Amino acid sequence: MSVTDATALPDGAPVVDAPTTSRRRGTYDAKEVGLALLFLVPSLAVFAVFFYLPFARLLSWGTYESVRGGASYNQVGIDQYREVLGGHEFRIGLWHSLQFVLWTVPFGLVLGTLLAVAAHRRLKGIKVFQAIFSSTLASSVAVSSVIFFFLFNPAVGFFRVSWQSSPRWAIFAAALPAIWQNLGLSFVIVLAGLQAVPDEVMEAARLDGYGAWRRLTRITLPLIAPVLMFLLVILVIYGFQAFAQIDIITKGGPGGASETLVFKIFKQTQDYGKGAVLSVGLFCVTLVVTFIQFAILDRRVHYGDE
Amino acid sequence: MATSDVKSQGAAELAMGQSPARKNAGLVGQYLTLGLLSLLVLGPIGLTVIQALSPPFRYVSAGRPLHPVEVSWQDRTWFSGGPLSLVVRTLIVFALLAWLQKVASGGGWKDKAYLVPSRIVAIVGGTVALALVMNPLFQSFFKADGNTAVLYAAAVVAVAATQVWAYLSPARSPITSVVMALFTGFGLISFCIVTMGPTVWTLAWTRYDLGPAMGRSFVMTICVTVLQVSTAIMAAYAFVFLRFPFKRILFALFMATLLLPLEVTLVGNVATIRQLDWTDTMKALVLPFGAAALGTFLIRQGFRGLPTEIQDATRLDGYGHVAFLTRFAVPLTRPVIAAFTVISALSAWNQYLWPRSITESNSFNTLQIQLRLAAASEVPNANQAIAAALVAAVPVVLLLIAFQRQIIRGLTAGAVK
Repeated sequence: MSVTDATALPDGAPVVDAPTTSRRRGTYDAKEVGLALLFLVPSLAVFAVFFYLPFARLLSWGTYESVRGGASYNQVGIDQYREVLGGHEFRIGLWHSLQFVLWTVPFGLVLGTLLAVAAHRRLKGIKVFQAIFSSTLASSVAVSSVIFFFLFNPAVGFFRVSWQSSPRWAIFAAALPAIWQNLGLSFVIVLAGLQAVPDEVMEAARLDGYGAWRRLTRITLPLIAPVLMFLLVILVIYGFQAFAQIDIITKGGPGGASETLVFKIFKQTQDYGKGAVLSVGLFCVTLVVTFIQFAILDRRVHYGDE
Repeated sequence: MATSDVKSQGAAELAMGQSPARKNAGLVGQYLTLGLLSLLVLGPIGLTVIQALSPPFRYVSAGRPLHPVEVSWQDRTWFSGGPLSLVVRTLIVFALLAWLQKVASGGGWKDKAYLVPSRIVAIVGGTVALALVMNPLFQSFFKADGNTAVLYAAAVVAVAATQVWAYLSPARSPITSVVMALFTGFGLISFCIVTMGPTVWTLAWTRYDLGPAMGRSFVMTICVTVLQVSTAIMAAYAFVFLRFPFKRILFALFMATLLLPLEVTLVGNVATIRQLDWTDTMKALVLPFGAAALGTFLIRQGFRGLPTEIQDATRLDGYGHVAFLTRFAVPLTRPVIAAFTVISALSAWNQYLWPRSITESNSFNTLQIQLRLAAASEVPNANQAIAAALVAAVPVVLLLIAFQRQIIRGLTAGAVK
């Protein structure tokens, strides 16, 4: 039954109350709206109390400066934003976060692709290797951080190197568990991309005399480029949000040399004013990353029929 | 057909160009690469197991600040370490034996041919035999009276004896069966010595209160998952099947929460929890994650994929919205919901920053935070902290094995259309 048929019928005809598609636009059924409200209220309540309310409070707290470590607060207006976001601490925190991202993302992309290309073939027992490669999915950030904390511990580690206590290498030491833990995720995502490439394409390339290396660089990689972009975005977000690795392995040290932005925010949960400004700063960074993400995904993914 | 002719011709040319020897070499190379990459992935775990099983360190006044100390393994028997660890290690051996027998039978779990009496006897008997022979073997290690090797060989033979009957089959020669049984005995005994002998696992379990911490993590995970999935299903249903004003604005409000990750709202949320005096409570761990925009989005996509004819037909049959939701919409989109459930559970279990920020006494730590405590407090007893980390990973390993398909589908949901 088409929409025009239904609208042609007088109100109260039995058909009107059947499929939703045949309703007139602009009028709402009170019972239906009530049900929708009932269905949406739980989510909306959580979002209001734990997403929008704290964010609104952060925006306003940012204009207050704490006195004597949070004993009282002075209204200083927008000045605190200018001071903190333009200051050394925010910039150094952002730089540390960026360093973490720069360690984890390229390794994640390259190793994930390597594992996926190696395991995407018809061989006896390949399922076992695929299970092994995705196995790091089972580890949590805390587990992988503890494992790498002791593997590279300068005192009792399996490899007694001084990365964790050196200002230069502390962030790398904290990035190692993230690199290892991301292997599983990167592998699974790139493999899904490879499996979506039709076999005929690869077969045709082989018949055209393309060698393995040229098939990889000229055909496979361009075809899975969107998947790699998706992975890139995920890894960047994970990198900026990393906290447990820093907290367990370097504790921000030595001498603050590995305090990322999130770690600095965590340390400021007592000083609401400064913590709020740093949070808003992180929000801006997230916003930029997310917009890049949407720009990339929008061009590629076709969401339904809207 | 022309194309297939070309294809087979090409394939023939290709086959001629490659000698069998070269093909074999290529195969070996492929397996070698895969093996090396496996080593890269599993290497850290292997080294960590070695570390967990190494003796602990102690501070000494002279010489090097830390050095390994001798430990007494005297209490190392199959039956020591409390009933829980006894049950766990027995179940592990039981599962291993069952798996070995399944592989040996060449069938699947559901094959009736798999569960014949001889295999059941081998699985149960093998487990009992292992439990019995491991005690003298463990004891002989610290007595160091030269009998260890003899005892080891005897133990292998004892366990192998329970397996021979199960390996006998018309397709195999009796000698092959005996060799397979011996290999099973050898592998199992070695496995038990490495993983179950030292009491480091049970020591870590009690020392760091992993039991209660794991319990809290379980409760938190289940509550968060149930809440997220149910609120997401309801919201998605409203967005797809119900007509109400301001739908677009409300949906935008939902999606905008993706721009406010926990890291951004942390300071504000911690303040809220403190004002409500909710620190160290389960509701503080659970409620902020009671709803998820991602889940709403994924399930909404699932609902929109349902043919409208189904809804129209059920409406005409007199089903209301609730009946349609529970009897048709949810069952028909089960793959999507399952994928989101698993992802939601995984991320709840792995929560770190939030529990770390709102638990103030260590008596309300979740498992992940307890691991941090273990790592931070005891460098000399590193082996126990490492053991704690490995024990903490076990539940997720089991989850991964059980729900591998759903997890992978959930993780790759956005990657490939």
